[in-house]
Amino acid sequence: MTFRVLDPTNEATPPLGTQAPRPASLEGAIVGIITNGKEGTLGFFAHLERMLRTEFGVADVIRRTKSNYSAPADAHIADELRRWQAVVTGIGD
Amino acid sequence: MPLTARGHSVPDFAAAQELYHANGWTDGLPIVPPTEDAVAACLDWAMTPPDQLIGIEPVRAIPLTAEKLAINAVMAGCLPMHFPVVLTAVTAMLQPEFLLHGATSSTGGCAILIVLNGPIRRELAAPGTFNALGNADRATSVIGRAIRLVLINLLDVRPGGIDRSTIGHPGKFSYCVAEDEEDTTWDPLHVQRGLPPEVSAVTVMAAGSLRQIMNEWTTEPEEILETFAAEMRANMRHYSIWAGNYALVIPKQLREHLQAAGWSKSDIATFIHRRARIRRGEWAEVGKRAVVRGQADAEYAALESPDRLLVIAAGGPAGGFGAVIPPWLGNKSTAVTLPVGACIDCGPPSR
Repeated sequence: MTFRVLDPTNEATPPLGTQAPRPASLEGAIVGIITNGKEGTLGFFAHLERMLRTEFGVADVIRRTKSNYSAPADAHIADELRRWQAVVTGIGD
Repeated sequence: MPLTARGHSVPDFAAAQELYHANGWTDGLPIVPPTEDAVAACLDWAMTPPDQLIGIEPVRAIPLTAEKLAINAVMAGCLPMHFPVVLTAVTAMLQPEFLLHGATSSTGGCAILIVLNGPIRRELAAPGTFNALGNADRATSVIGRAIRLVLINLLDVRPGGIDRSTIGHPGKFSYCVAEDEEDTTWDPLHVQRGLPPEVSAVTVMAAGSLRQIMNEWTTEPEEILETFAAEMRANMRHYSIWAGNYALVIPKQLREHLQAAGWSKSDIATFIHRRARIRRGEWAEVGKRAVVRGQADAEYAALESPDRLLVIAAGGPAGGFGAVIPPWLGNKSTAVTLPVGACIDCGPPSR
């Protein structure tokens, strides 16, 4: 004899934003780097910035640090993001 | 109102287990199959319609409905009488200052400590005595587990998914304790945090693994509490120096000395606030010289203020053992206390 059990997961998927178009090139672009500010990110993002400037020809690299590394980016950073053509973010320890 | 969750037909109990394990819907332990009748009974007990929105996870905008919470509660082993506590705990965890996403995704590996207070402890037979922090009774075991299953199934807090814990700790299975309010002269935790004594309440705290202490060789309050303060200092040296909520679990044998000397929970908090401090230079003694950075004399307190300490009377009647429960990471997350159900006499939630 069968019995019926219920799905414990979230079936109502929240609306997701759409992915921005990928830039064909970073030449002349303004690229943002959002870091959580942890120790291990310092050297990593410094090296990435050098690469973006010397190998990819970006116009500028803007580095911003979240005020709380366990929370989403601050509203003022999210606002600023609109003026960038690309952004690099992630976690670092 | 009918339930709307997708159903799965299974031939027997064993097949139900394999369905939930295969889909990653458990914590590794067997589950109680969530049938419509069992889930509806939880919702009926809490007088909550299935589609009631309990809250929205603030970072990823994930809605949490009563029906889905009830399914996970049944899976954890909850009876209907346990479900209002689960609803309250989840509501508390969704308060912005709790920073649920950070706490559950951090490499720091915390679990959600749940403290039960008020009359509901007696209704649920959760006395907070023997083995108080070791899943001593049905209620604390299943309520704590329900929270973990909610995190796994509704917020994708799975190891390697949203849960990035490096080590984690065993409290993730279930980290729930009832305060032994009957065998103490102290105010219960929820009263300390601003709720009326006759109200049942849940306090949630993003917490690291408990650190057990022992001192059976004194009756002096200052000496007893110095052992707790020393353990907090050890946590500041070895784990995190940042101030936040700490919980102290004080058993009968130790609290009777404190009570006989007239010490209240507030007196304890004041003492601990003064004594649980280290200088940054102490990091050099434990292999963290690199981050002293010329600030060796800077003093750090474990508590920003005495009211950040949660003092909990719990534990078996014999033994000078207590516990320090440290915060996940300083004040990134703040403990939240909420009444169970409606409370017309309650003020705003205590933080």
